[in-house]
Amino acid sequence: MTSSDEGVIGGLLIKSVVATTGLLLGAFLLWALRSLIVPVAVSGLLAYVCRPVVTSLERCRVPRGVAIGLLLLTFVLSALFVVDRIRAIMPTETGAIEFKVRALYAINERYRDLMQLDSTLAKGNRLYQFVHADFDPLVNRVNQLLALAPQERSQLLASHSGGANTQAGSDSLLDEDRVNLQTFDVRARTARAEERAAGSPRLTAAQAPVNKPLAVLAQILSTWIVAPLVFLFLLSDTGEIKRGLLSLVPNRLFEPALTVLADLDHALGDWVRGLFLECSLLAITVAVLLAIIGIPLRWSIAIGLFAGATNVVPYLGAAVALLGGLAYALLAHEIHPLLPMVTTENLAIWVIVVVGLAELIKNVVYEPLVLGGAVKLHPLVVVIGVMGGAILFGLAGVLLAIPTICVFKVLVSSAARQLKAYGLI
Amino acid sequence: MKGKSSLAGIRNLLLPRPDGPDRVDASAIPARVLFGPAPKPAADQSGDDFVGFLKQAYLFEDLNHGELTRLARIVHERTYRDGEYISEQGKPGAALFVLRNGVVEITRRKRNGEEFPLATLDPPASFEELAAMGEVVRWSSARARGPVSLVALGRSDLDALGGNFPHLANKILKKLVQITAARVQVLVEVQYFSEQEQEGEA
Repeated sequence: MTSSDEGVIGGLLIKSVVATTGLLLGAFLLWALRSLIVPVAVSGLLAYVCRPVVTSLERCRVPRGVAIGLLLLTFVLSALFVVDRIRAIMPTETGAIEFKVRALYAINERYRDLMQLDSTLAKGNRLYQFVHADFDPLVNRVNQLLALAPQERSQLLASHSGGANTQAGSDSLLDEDRVNLQTFDVRARTARAEERAAGSPRLTAAQAPVNKPLAVLAQILSTWIVAPLVFLFLLSDTGEIKRGLLSLVPNRLFEPALTVLADLDHALGDWVRGLFLECSLLAITVAVLLAIIGIPLRWSIAIGLFAGATNVVPYLGAAVALLGGLAYALLAHEIHPLLPMVTTENLAIWVIVVVGLAELIKNVVYEPLVLGGAVKLHPLVVVIGVMGGAILFGLAGVLLAIPTICVFKVLVSSAARQLKAYGLI
Repeated sequence: MKGKSSLAGIRNLLLPRPDGPDRVDASAIPARVLFGPAPKPAADQSGDDFVGFLKQAYLFEDLNHGELTRLARIVHERTYRDGEYISEQGKPGAALFVLRNGVVEITRRKRNGEEFPLATLDPPASFEELAAMGEVVRWSSARARGPVSLVALGRSDLDALGGNFPHLANKILKKLVQITAARVQVLVEVQYFSEQEQEGEA
């Protein structure tokens, strides 16, 4: 072996060690800083979406700094408008108390009917025997959340007992509150009896320790505070990041890298635009279909918007629409459907039908139409990717699994194509 | 009228008349014509100002200062060692280059593998312009002769520029088309005159 061969082998060895160390360090940093992944990625995607707006303003001779300022001002005004609208539709204090009473009553009654519970609420049909271990803590938790505090009960009694201003339906509301109170007591007794039978105090959902909300909020804020900075930094970038990345690339890889970056940009752009369109179309479809089966327009639009927004995560939009629709179906006293065959009793079934229909329309019509040019992924890859992302990185993994898979797929295929074309592999 | 005079100007620029003391070898003229304007003397360059350098390049001479500043943000500065290939024959092209410092040699490899020089370029010559207009496979190679620094404009950069600032991209594309068309025209002319001269001599 000549000294030149030894030098080559030594060089390769050093390069391998450096590359492996770099990879390990990168993986460690990714894992250690995983709480920052979601804020950075979300602000990055938002900056990516907003970049054409800033460029359009720049084309109209608006300086980039002013364009970014205008965009931020629009965001702030929009946020203020949304908050104002939400405050406008929020029920008053008395309205909220009434809603809690009616919702709790409806939930308990439907649960009792479905499970055919006896007066102790501890024995029911076969379905109950099968699922009570999972469902009872959930219902207990809902009871605790919706139960009125003593002050709220006094307010309810004051506003609904006697006097000339007593509203129609007050009696039924007070009756429902009395029933709620009895149910709550029975549930508490049953839970205590179960604890004694188990021998040791069992931690029920009702007794589960509640995280200190301020601590949770502070934790969220401390990680999300980076988001506006990343957003502004990326939006004010005029190509320095891309040029900086390319300046690190060796000369013989410069043109392949240029093409791979362009492919990535196209794929990501197509995906973001397609996803935005698909989410918007799903929101409209869900809202219209829910309105047709009798859910009030206000709630249909709210459920539709929420379903559209959460559709960023595959299948979550449909799940949210289903949950929202079913929650309304559970609480609804009367509905005014456009279809005569829909009634309060079978509304839940119709909710399932229309949400299924919306998902079908999304898959068969919208996806080929708006995501036709974007990266196509097999449904199995989507499901495994989202689940794997959730296991590894929690919410960050769920949100970013699909864009990461898309980027990875385009990166690998484009890089392989370019390296082959340039004779490098 | 304007087109004619501008064509004549380009012809003079691209194809110096071989009657002066610095006459170009006739066999080198067609190759010279293909690879860009005659190099300007170094004295013409205005310092290290990047935008000023871009303004000197024939390709960007129609752009105003604001447009040149915008262009300066998207182009890539590259440096090459002596003998390093900038682009290789038979490989796809994804960028055009404007020479900033140093000398670049354009060569073509024959079927037997032998490489012969076609032209030697000095700043601020541009080359591989076709790669910025569409997907091409390069038919010649460009190699650094001594240390070279140059400016690269990627096809994807020009595409993005076309989407965001169409007026600016249009100016560059028009210039690219002008250069390409003029080169083809002059090459045909050279070939034609060369044949006539050969016939006359015979």
